[in-house]
Amino acid sequence: MTAPLAATARRGAAHTGIVAALIASMLASPCGAARAIVIRDDSAREVRFAHPAERVVSLLPSLTEIVCALGACARLVAVDRYSDWPTQVRSLPKAGGLDDAQVEEIVRLKPDVVLLSNSQRIAGRLQELGVPSVAIDTQTFAHIGHSVVLIGQVLGLPEQAAALNEQIDRSVRAVSETARAHRHGAGPSVYVEVDRAPYAASAGSFIGEMLARLGARNIVTPDLGAFPRLNPEYVVRHDPDVIVVTEEELPDFTERPGWDQIRAVKEQRVCSFPPEVRYMIERPGPRVADGMQALEACLERAAP
Amino acid sequence: MREAPASRTTTSPALSCEGLRVGYGSRVVLEHVSLDIPPGRWTSVVGPNGCGKSTLLRALAGLETARAGTIFLQGRRLQAWPRRERARRLAWLSQNAPITDLTAAEVVALGRFAHSGWLAHRQADDDAAAQRAMTATGSLAWAARRLSTLSGGERQRVHLARVLAVEAPVLLLDEPTTHLDPPHQEDVARLLRDQSQRHGVSVVSAIHDLSLALTADRVIVLGHSGIVGHGTVREALEGDWLSVAFETRVNIVEHEGVHLWRPALDVRAQQGIDR
Amino acid sequence: MSAPRALLQLGEAPQDVTRANRLTVWLVACVAITLLLTFGSLVIGTSSIETSLGWILSPDAQSSVVLWQIRLPRSVGAWLAGALLGLAGGIAQGVFRNPLADPYLLGTASGAALGVTISLVAADVSVGGLAWATKLGITGAACLGAGGATLLTISLSRGVLQTRSLLLSGVVVAFLLSAITQLMLLAKPDIWRSMQSFLFGSTGFISWSSVGLLGTVFGVSIIPAVFLSRGLDALTLGEDTAQSLGLSLPALRLSLLGIVSLATAAAVGEVGVVGFVGLVAPHLVRETLSVNHRQLLIAAPLCGGALLQAADLASRWLIRPAELPVGAVTACVGGSYLVYLLWRRSRNA
Repeated sequence: MTAPLAATARRGAAHTGIVAALIASMLASPCGAARAIVIRDDSAREVRFAHPAERVVSLLPSLTEIVCALGACARLVAVDRYSDWPTQVRSLPKAGGLDDAQVEEIVRLKPDVVLLSNSQRIAGRLQELGVPSVAIDTQTFAHIGHSVVLIGQVLGLPEQAAALNEQIDRSVRAVSETARAHRHGAGPSVYVEVDRAPYAASAGSFIGEMLARLGARNIVTPDLGAFPRLNPEYVVRHDPDVIVVTEEELPDFTERPGWDQIRAVKEQRVCSFPPEVRYMIERPGPRVADGMQALEACLERAAP
Repeated sequence: MREAPASRTTTSPALSCEGLRVGYGSRVVLEHVSLDIPPGRWTSVVGPNGCGKSTLLRALAGLETARAGTIFLQGRRLQAWPRRERARRLAWLSQNAPITDLTAAEVVALGRFAHSGWLAHRQADDDAAAQRAMTATGSLAWAARRLSTLSGGERQRVHLARVLAVEAPVLLLDEPTTHLDPPHQEDVARLLRDQSQRHGVSVVSAIHDLSLALTADRVIVLGHSGIVGHGTVREALEGDWLSVAFETRVNIVEHEGVHLWRPALDVRAQQGIDR
Repeated sequence: MSAPRALLQLGEAPQDVTRANRLTVWLVACVAITLLLTFGSLVIGTSSIETSLGWILSPDAQSSVVLWQIRLPRSVGAWLAGALLGLAGGIAQGVFRNPLADPYLLGTASGAALGVTISLVAADVSVGGLAWATKLGITGAACLGAGGATLLTISLSRGVLQTRSLLLSGVVVAFLLSAITQLMLLAKPDIWRSMQSFLFGSTGFISWSSVGLLGTVFGVSIIPAVFLSRGLDALTLGEDTAQSLGLSLPALRLSLLGIVSLATAAAVGEVGVVGFVGLVAPHLVRETLSVNHRQLLIAAPLCGGALLQAADLASRWLIRPAELPVGAVTACVGGSYLVYLLWRRSRNA
């Protein structure tokens, strides 16, 4: 892998001018670039670009964050209504939500590419209307690295993508090591609730992966699926040390029959987060380390 | 496209059945029924409630599956007739027809379905037949009215017109005089008589009014245990089949050539009480 | 019309002329409303486009795409889907001889939902599944599911001889397939969002190719339906009478229900499960006009098309730039209509 350009720039002040020019040429619109970009997106479709995308529409908050983390925030012409980080994207035109993408808006903006989740149906319609779309899986840790690479390719910023991935890896490792150092013994057992049905997040889900890296033990094993709907009895039986809640409203666990016996409920070891933090935790994107940090902060507080 | 009237001298029956057995579920209603309906005659089916008059008619019309036995229409097995041909030769009037939103003209026109098929009125014949039928039943005046806006009697006459419009050589009618007031009941009787005598149609009807029923040529008398007898009206009266069938004394008096049922009530004694 | 011409001249001619006039007026009104709605949907949209006439006649290239590639096919597609549902509803009400029958009676809605669920799950589970699911698309999966459900219903009721057994097996199939769908959703809750948007109905994915599909199915459905309409008329006289007139009831029912399932499957495939249009359109026609089935099966699609077009327009306009699911709009409108009917009936009683 090539050395990050940023490191190169830092190393030699004397080369700043040349490097600056290089960076400028990379970021500037390479209208005459003859190299076509061909990528295979996560819906197994091949998408061709004559040049790196200059006008980008993102229909998923985590993808928006990746674009900005790659330094291409200025290329965004519209985002979905839930994208809110960094703050400058809040003033961009809104192109709908997860299920009701505003096709008209998108077409009018004439984007070079539309980045969306693999589960959004609008991809087919966009292709029909001649708008290139790139479908990206965004559910797991591994998907983060992959989506960064994919987006980097589309934007013509492969080096930045590699640098970003490296940075993400580094910061995740740092948080993980620090966290594990704080663990006494096997680490706290955790129950993560995403819905009051109750739906839990198992060790195989994204937040489950984050918690695993922090040294926590998830009472719901991955063989149950990513978000299984549990028998409430299961939670009582496993008696987690900490409960992590990603619902909007913090439920009253004592209302549930038998739950007042759970250690986490008795000793009030419940982790919940304000919306901005919650979004950070839920999005498999460049701020994953910050999300883990927030989780760790709560775990340290709440764990026995 | 009417069939040529059957000659009176022909011996082959219009409709006949052999060893017929009909029932609903596990209940057997009729058994070992063998009958001949001669052509060009009006045959009445009489009998007490629940003895199987409707069932017999429905079976003869092919609307009930026979458990055993065969039915012959004009010498050929009923099931062997192609559906539309059979519909052209055998017309059926139901006892209770649901009220529909169709106009009287449309209902009568449906009677020509067996002739004209899916596309309405392929021929002027159909219009003429419909018009004749509606004139005969006196229902022409409300041709354009919806059936749901007509009275029971008016509806009945439209249904009768529909049956007549088929111009089939065999008519099976289940209670054709329902809802009709006495003058119109008379009209129906006259109509059926006319059909059989002048047009050579074989009419089989179930009319519960005995006096009216006995204006027919022949009669099939059903009892609770099967057919009591079938033959001319005279034979039925001589054999007092009706009393056997109804399991009670049935008085029939003849008055000016018409057979009338005389209820066994002493009306004068009744009037004595009121006085 | 089907009344004998000779008889038209006799009898109460003025009333009959009025009747023919009312139908004509009604048909013309439907067409006029449709044209108005189509024009309206060109002008109203979720993006802020100027709404002057001049813009429509000579739009810039970009707005041209919006107009002709997005808004127009969407409106036309909504009309076709509504027409298909109206036609299917009219036929269903005739076959089941029940004015409250709707095209989903045979389990088509649950079948479509299950088809979509299976397709989404397959795409998630394996690469082969993904390829197959992509090729089929949501539309294809929904169509297959709907068709399969109908076949199941018909075979469960052991042929189509008994109306009651058909209704019963339709209910059974609907419950059964819903249960299976729920189980699959439990196993893979992340497809829940996509399923929901399908279930509520949406006209947002209609393209010109969808319009082609819907149009073809409409042509293939309405022609035999109108041809067989006389059989439905005969059915109103009772099954016995219809049979005695020479109709083969099983064949008639099978053909008509085949048309219903084809029409419904196509509509559900393209716009999801949109309720009430199939119920309200033929019902509305019958309440305001007195028609035989041939006229009904022409008027009901026109009415249904206009209804769904109006619902589509409302769904795009009411909370713009966001969109209401079109099924929610039809549910509100349809529900209100039924409440009004009940109120009127209780007032007259």
